[in-house]
Amino acid sequence: MKSLAPVAIAIAVLALLQVLTASSEYFVYLSLLVGVNVVLAVSLNVINGMTGQFSIGHAGFMAVGAFASALLSQVLNQYRLGFLPEPVEHQLFFFISLVVGGAAAGMCGFIVGLPSLRLRGDYLAIVTLGFGEIILVVVRNTPTFGGALGLSGTPQYTSFFSVWFAVFIVVLFARRLLASPHGRNLVAIREDEVAAEAMGVDTTGYKVRAFVVSSFFAGVAGGLFAHFQSIITPGDSFSFVKSMEIVVMIVAGGLGSTTGAVVAAVVLTLLPEAMRAVFIQIGGGNVALAQSIDQLRKPIFGVLLVVMMLTRPQGIFGTHEAWDLFKRKKGARA
Amino acid sequence: MSDALLHAKKVSIRFGGLKALSEFDLEIRKGDLKGLIGPNGAGKTTAFNVLTGVYLPTEGEVFVCGEKVNGRRPHQINRLGLARTFQNIRLFKELTVLDNVRIAVLAERTPLFDRTRVESLKRGPYPGRTVGSVLDALDNYRDWWRALLRTPGFLREEEGIEKRAKELLEVMGLSHRVDELARNLPYGEQRRLEIARALGTRPKVLLLDEPAAGMNTREKADLMVLIRELRSRFELGILVIEHDMKLVMGICEHLTVLDHGETIARGEPAAVRTDPKVVEAYLGEAPAHV
Repeated sequence: MKSLAPVAIAIAVLALLQVLTASSEYFVYLSLLVGVNVVLAVSLNVINGMTGQFSIGHAGFMAVGAFASALLSQVLNQYRLGFLPEPVEHQLFFFISLVVGGAAAGMCGFIVGLPSLRLRGDYLAIVTLGFGEIILVVVRNTPTFGGALGLSGTPQYTSFFSVWFAVFIVVLFARRLLASPHGRNLVAIREDEVAAEAMGVDTTGYKVRAFVVSSFFAGVAGGLFAHFQSIITPGDSFSFVKSMEIVVMIVAGGLGSTTGAVVAAVVLTLLPEAMRAVFIQIGGGNVALAQSIDQLRKPIFGVLLVVMMLTRPQGIFGTHEAWDLFKRKKGARA
Repeated sequence: MSDALLHAKKVSIRFGGLKALSEFDLEIRKGDLKGLIGPNGAGKTTAFNVLTGVYLPTEGEVFVCGEKVNGRRPHQINRLGLARTFQNIRLFKELTVLDNVRIAVLAERTPLFDRTRVESLKRGPYPGRTVGSVLDALDNYRDWWRALLRTPGFLREEEGIEKRAKELLEVMGLSHRVDELARNLPYGEQRRLEIARALGTRPKVLLLDEPAAGMNTREKADLMVLIRELRSRFELGILVIEHDMKLVMGICEHLTVLDHGETIARGEPAAVRTDPKVVEAYLGEAPAHV
């Protein structure tokens, strides 16, 4: 199967990287954060970039996936299958809870996608925003999810390999989707809904499908996130601020561009960390000075975004993809 | 039922108190080339929108290939064999010319279940309707997986789609523009691309909404030849809305004239042109004492 070759290559490369990077705990931790954000950005891009609908509740889907998979994982962890070695069994349980978490989020995506049949633009955005808040309120008031204190004691299964394999899968998904009639139908809805409908595209059906697949991957990202945090609380990591962070990533990367979403998610996640490292250098040995310079991180971050939107409003990549460049080069040579 | 591909029976549509279209009758058979004319605001585009399912008729019935389509969604009506272009060009502007047509072209694939049976189930009573929807969904899931795994069958379909799209672009004289963005085409070519896109859906009836608007005289002459050619080549019935009298008189074999939503005349172009009601609608009422 030629179409599965990339998967085999990715597994080999990621396994190698996993071994090579194992020594640096800081690097691994950062790479997990970055990877989760990349999955979130690429999946949100399916709704906001490809289909042209405006969702600002992506962290809500992430929360559904996180809490559902964390809970399931804790339950599964009490059982032993016996016939498999324990590490393999853990990974199997991990995989199952990720998929279930994703499916739970996907189901929520279906429910949220339904109003998108009638609502457009700002109105849809408000619905998705409301959904994100509802999820947090539900979690805060459900003892099973730990209430406001959050859920702790989730087994720490997430590894460099699992996160970046998820990244690989979601990027491959986005790319192949766009190269299929389904992806083209989504883009047609973005470009002109009336014309798409007149050309036989089931616009309502495709909008809902976009929501379902996008929130599935957001749920998986949430599940990965839950399995490397010692505790997940219905607070900052799943709030409206998080949703906006993801929106900023895909807008900065270029709406509709998967490459852009990946690059922007990596850069914007690492930028604050990089700035901190630089400021500590500037502050030298003076800890107090370093700390007060560190306060400037957020404003500088904001200014950078404003400057970027003024100079390049279409985002880093516009709607282009890295692989298109390769294709064009190949075409030129042939 | 008659063998009409498109049949409107006493279709009326009211927006609040305004009667935009009243008792509109129309029949298009295979090989017909009919025109729909009338002054601005006469209800021509409204008629198109009713036929294609954008508006629901207040009264009357619309049949496409013998099936009643009142209340069906535009994409369902399109799949029955009715395709259209738009007065104010509605291309997928940021996409390439090829992609514009590819979106319209349906893959030639063998569905998991018999299409006609699923469709009839979905239109029948419950619980059959639910079964139909589930079968439909299953078929759709399979199709997504085929696309994501890029199975050989899927790749073959994609090739078929591309080939068909390129054929249509060649017919419409756009072969040299395949990789350009739709918004970069000159006006006349955008109009032709819209027709190519409509043809992609394999229609039996083609509705053209002012296809010559904004074209120069030469382009219009070419378009007239082209429309005739399309009719015979794709065995279509064609209905044209047009302001340009010369073009309408030149190609249409039958005209329906609308004014304020009322059908004021119908028949052969030569007869319609001299009809006093038509002259009045276009030029205004003749002064009483001349």
